[in-house]
Amino acid sequence: MPLLRSYTPHYFSIDDIMATQERLPCKFEVDVLRLGEYCRNQAKIIMSNTTALKVAKKSFLDPSSDDEDIKTGTTLELPYWLARALCNRNRSIVSVNIPRIYKEAYREILKAEASVVDLHRLCVYFYEFGSYLSGFNHRDSTEIGNLLVQCFKDRFRLIMDWAQNSSGDTSGSGRGAGSDPTARLDNLERGLLITGRSSWEALEAWLSQGGGRPIGPANMVVNHQKRQLANASVS
Amino acid sequence: MFGDKAFELIKELERCPDSLPAFNDEGVRQVLEEMRVLFEQNQKDVNVSVSGDANYFAGVQLRHTSLERNKRCLLAYLYNRLQYIRQMRWEFGSILPPEIKFNLCEPEVKWFGNYSKYLANYMKTIGDGYGLDLTQDTKPPKSLYIEVRCLVDYGKLELEDGEIVLLKKNSQHLLPRSECEPLIRQGILQHIVH
Amino acid sequence: MMDPAEVEFIAEKQMVEIVPNFNFDRVYLISGEIGPFRAGLPVKVPIWMAINLRQRQKCRILVPDWMDVEKLEQAKEDESASRYFTKMPSEHYMAEAQLILSACGEDVPRADEIRTALKDLWDMRMSKLRSSVDTFIKTGGTHARLDHLTLMEMNSVRPLLPHALDQLHRLSTVRFVFSPLVNSSSCFDMHISILYYCFWC
Repeated sequence: MPLLRSYTPHYFSIDDIMATQERLPCKFEVDVLRLGEYCRNQAKIIMSNTTALKVAKKSFLDPSSDDEDIKTGTTLELPYWLARALCNRNRSIVSVNIPRIYKEAYREILKAEASVVDLHRLCVYFYEFGSYLSGFNHRDSTEIGNLLVQCFKDRFRLIMDWAQNSSGDTSGSGRGAGSDPTARLDNLERGLLITGRSSWEALEAWLSQGGGRPIGPANMVVNHQKRQLANASVS
Repeated sequence: MFGDKAFELIKELERCPDSLPAFNDEGVRQVLEEMRVLFEQNQKDVNVSVSGDANYFAGVQLRHTSLERNKRCLLAYLYNRLQYIRQMRWEFGSILPPEIKFNLCEPEVKWFGNYSKYLANYMKTIGDGYGLDLTQDTKPPKSLYIEVRCLVDYGKLELEDGEIVLLKKNSQHLLPRSECEPLIRQGILQHIVH
Repeated sequence: MMDPAEVEFIAEKQMVEIVPNFNFDRVYLISGEIGPFRAGLPVKVPIWMAINLRQRQKCRILVPDWMDVEKLEQAKEDESASRYFTKMPSEHYMAEAQLILSACGEDVPRADEIRTALKDLWDMRMSKLRSSVDTFIKTGGTHARLDHLTLMEMNSVRPLLPHALDQLHRLSTVRFVFSPLVNSSSCFDMHISILYYCFWC
């Protein structure tokens, strides 16, 4: 895949689909009728919910209830794509609340020491999700928008330094890589780091060996061979 | 919740950026089934709404959004796989390793074959009637002949001038760059620079 | 972004003086005519040709004037004294030096010192570039003037810098960008939905 392309969200973008799946607290402003399946499945979803946001206790709908409707006033954590469609200027089926990591307390921390915050743990899609949130007509919208820009600027030096200092491994998912500071990057920053690092490595190799470097096997071929080898050693 | 199964498909792709996971037939079938149910229920509620009862609007809206989300996830699943499959033509060449081909569904295998054919035809038509292999010369060439070491027992390779070279594991050869570059890209030969 | 090998390929078009040890008529190439070659008389040729002839022992390469320890030490001093980038003796100084020194390093006196001086100069300029990039992002500038930066140096911040600027631009204009999920109006949407289902009934 053309991995060096700069990222802009589009309909088919995996990153954008992942980012729009992040959840936010919503409160139903009207009754939504005949959603039997929806209610019954809620319990299961809440159990398997792996997003960083914690589900508030009151968002549990009684799984044994035969109630097929969502009553006005129910609060639930909905993924962004659903919340966005149900909440807009003309007619709000739900009202949304901003997740706490974008609220003032966290904004202050990010303003003060952006470069040491573990964004990956706060939200893997910190910038993407944040910029969608700033699109809601919420009183904090402008603040969130400004925060994202400032935060990105403050952390850019880190990304550039890490990209140009080839020690450390970011090829892994970053989870569990406790000692690796690049594990603190959110998805967008990580993308920049990876492209920056690969071009830097090419430059370093050129400086030490010149342009007469050998032709190598294609990336996909290398990955495939590695996997074959790993499979062979397992079986 | 609605859309979760479709999202699973996307997560599958996201989890392995360096490889193509097996086509998830069952997952796709389940998403299509969910979409069918959503659609039918919405049809029912819309009929009620049209006859004057506005209370079902919210439910229709919720299900309709979920339908659209499912559609987006499904299309993105297929699209991103195709992007990957297209790239494979450039990196593996026109023949895929069997373990990889195994992960493609029928229509994808067919698509790969067609893409490969169109690309080959296109490359034949350019370059003033001689054809031009666009997968060649990924870096500016320094010399016409290069030294290579064979990494596997490949067998015979016939060069353009008719000469036949036996490529045995660990044997070294001085070959025209244009004829061995594809084999280097496929990991059969190793380019040696002193 | 270009691969450094591609930048080097462009640098190979630079001219260099050689002293051939053979006689040959003028050669007509797409890029211009070269020669005639007279044994013992200096002639200007592109670097790629000089290297090829040198590899076949057909010529001696005359190293460009600026590839000289004293001149490079001076350039280093100028570079460290200036806030801005100073003008390099060649648009492709790094690539040219690397090509020529690796083809005929043994013929060049103090070749290792030249290599070290060049590397120092390069490192100095790279760290200058890094801090300008950082300041540029931090102050939110929209344009910057960077004279005398060579192609290989510019290429070193690609694609990181342009991509970072793309993202920054996107984040600061975010409320107006493409969003597949924003509905202009739910009433409007509702009618669409209803039409949609009525149509399929």
